Amino acid sequence: MSGHVKNMCPQLPISQAARTLLSLLLVAAIDSVSAGVVCRKQPCGSSLQISLKLTKLIHKESADLLKTYKVSQGDMSELFCQMSINNVPDPNISGLDPSERMLSIYSHCKAFLPHLKRVTEQQTDLQPPSSSLLSKLSTAQNRTNGLANQINCIYQTLFPNLPIPPEPVDGPTSVPPSQNVFQQKVYGCVVLKRFKEFLSRVTRELRTLKSQVCTRRTTFADTNALS
Amino acid sequence: MLSLLFLILYIPAVMPSSSQMAGIFPQDPALPIGSTLTATCSVSPDLGLHASSLFWSLNGRRLPSSSYSVLSPTALSVTLPGLPASRQRSGDNLVCHNHGGHVLAGSCLYIGMPPAKPVNLTCWSRNTKDLTCRWAPGGQGETFIKTKYTLKYKLRWYGRERECEEYSAAQPYSCYIPRDLALFTPYEIWVEATNQLGSATSDVITLDILDVVTTDPPSGVSVSRVGDLEDHLSVRWESPPALKDFLFQAKYQIRYRLEDNSDWKVMDDVGNQTSCRLAGLRPGTVYFVQVRCNPVGIYGSRRAGIWSEWSHPTAASTPHSERVLSGSCDSKSGDSNSTLRRELKQFFGWVRNHAYGCGGMSIKLYDQWRVWMQKSHKTRNQVLQGDKS
Repeated sequence: MSGHVKNMCPQLPISQAARTLLSLLLVAAIDSVSAGVVCRKQPCGSSLQISLKLTKLIHKESADLLKTYKVSQGDMSELFCQMSINNVPDPNISGLDPSERMLSIYSHCKAFLPHLKRVTEQQTDLQPPSSSLLSKLSTAQNRTNGLANQINCIYQTLFPNLPIPPEPVDGPTSVPPSQNVFQQKVYGCVVLKRFKEFLSRVTRELRTLKSQVCTRRTTFADTNALS
Repeated sequence: MLSLLFLILYIPAVMPSSSQMAGIFPQDPALPIGSTLTATCSVSPDLGLHASSLFWSLNGRRLPSSSYSVLSPTALSVTLPGLPASRQRSGDNLVCHNHGGHVLAGSCLYIGMPPAKPVNLTCWSRNTKDLTCRWAPGGQGETFIKTKYTLKYKLRWYGRERECEEYSAAQPYSCYIPRDLALFTPYEIWVEATNQLGSATSDVITLDILDVVTTDPPSGVSVSRVGDLEDHLSVRWESPPALKDFLFQAKYQIRYRLEDNSDWKVMDDVGNQTSCRLAGLRPGTVYFVQVRCNPVGIYGSRRAGIWSEWSHPTAASTPHSERVLSGSCDSKSGDSNSTLRRELKQFFGWVRNHAYGCGGMSIKLYDQWRVWMQKSHKTRNQVLQGDKS
């Protein structure tokens, strides 16, 4: 036994490497938590299946929501709901490859949320407090937010090298300025009609995506090759 | 008229289909029931439409052109006499269309009444901790347009006016004040009703929180039989837990009814015990029993409070009466006449008349009969005819 302690590891370089490794890990850890959403790792197929189920639920509820809305606004012919309004998100999903289309679903969900919120605020003034419309609107918002988070997680898992662009704060997707009551009624109808159409498209899209991006043994390592 | 037109065209309203292309005046007005409204639809000359080609609809129904009036090439008015109350809280839809039916502009009409003075304002406190108040809208009870009710309160001798904040969506004309209530000093409480057509204030009520205290129903209500007694039931309960912190006495009341009868019998003089016996009940019957509580003697006063809600009904049944089974003592007809059988028939007849049925059947009873038979044998000639006792 030698009297002095032999330093097996050269100190400076290793500690520097350790530090670098630590910071890399930290950045990677932060990277996988985007917009405060913590994602649980799940197999590709089941994640998309869960999102598909949620989408179907919201879509079904959106039909009832639109019906309830129309009844509570009084006799409104279909004319009102078909008027064109600027700034309300269109229901179409854009993009050529799966990553773009998934991103489009996510950003559309996020885009609809402030409009749903605005309709809820407006209808709170217009409806009696016991109206079922208000609770249905609130449910739609919560569920859509949940769906956006799920899609976010799936996207990060499937396409970890593609960043999600930050949401525009006061961009062109912001809600219209104050409107008179008649405009509010029309606006609400247009938002909810497009929302329903959007969800119908998301349902179809998620089915397609599931077959495209989730092979039977998709592991997280493999999915990198797809992006 | 031209200046009015200018005014309308420059109102910064972003119209759904096109910006500032058409507008209605008045926009979203509130009017009393029965009023006459003249509304004007003004279109921008850029649309290239003539006022005479436009038409109006109200709540989806096209309005007759006899009620229209062309004010100018770009302005068409409609007169609506005697407007009825609004069909929905969000307002009636008055819409200006082009000849093809396309919507140019809309205005939502709020036809209703100013609020009537709210009435029947009553308040109560649960265990002196909080205050719940309830009122009724007054008048016809419905204004047809959105009416806001605000419950306000203040300490009578000092303090600023405060507003109740917790209104229940489930119970529209009530409000809840959860904390910070002073005792031994009067409050003034009232309700203000406001809508677009006017406002009204209820009468002010004055109360001390301790005047209007109620409590929870008694807990642990149990009803049980009293041994074999067929017309008694024993009721036990516990005083509401909240009262044990206070210098209250409690007074109780019991009510009970038959299962298939909706008439309650009330026992009033239960005092402050936590058990009671019900008597004079029907045997073999199910009864429902409820108990309620009144906090009396708040902080030493002799004042009664407000009765609590009744406890959840507790059910119990009285024992069946033995007498009921006596019918089974009837002898069956047919079979050979044996001495034993004849004797038994006589015995049963005697039992029915003398011993009130076969409930206490025993050898002792048989012996009694035997004794009786011997005695009556001696005086048979005199007392043979149906012995009724």
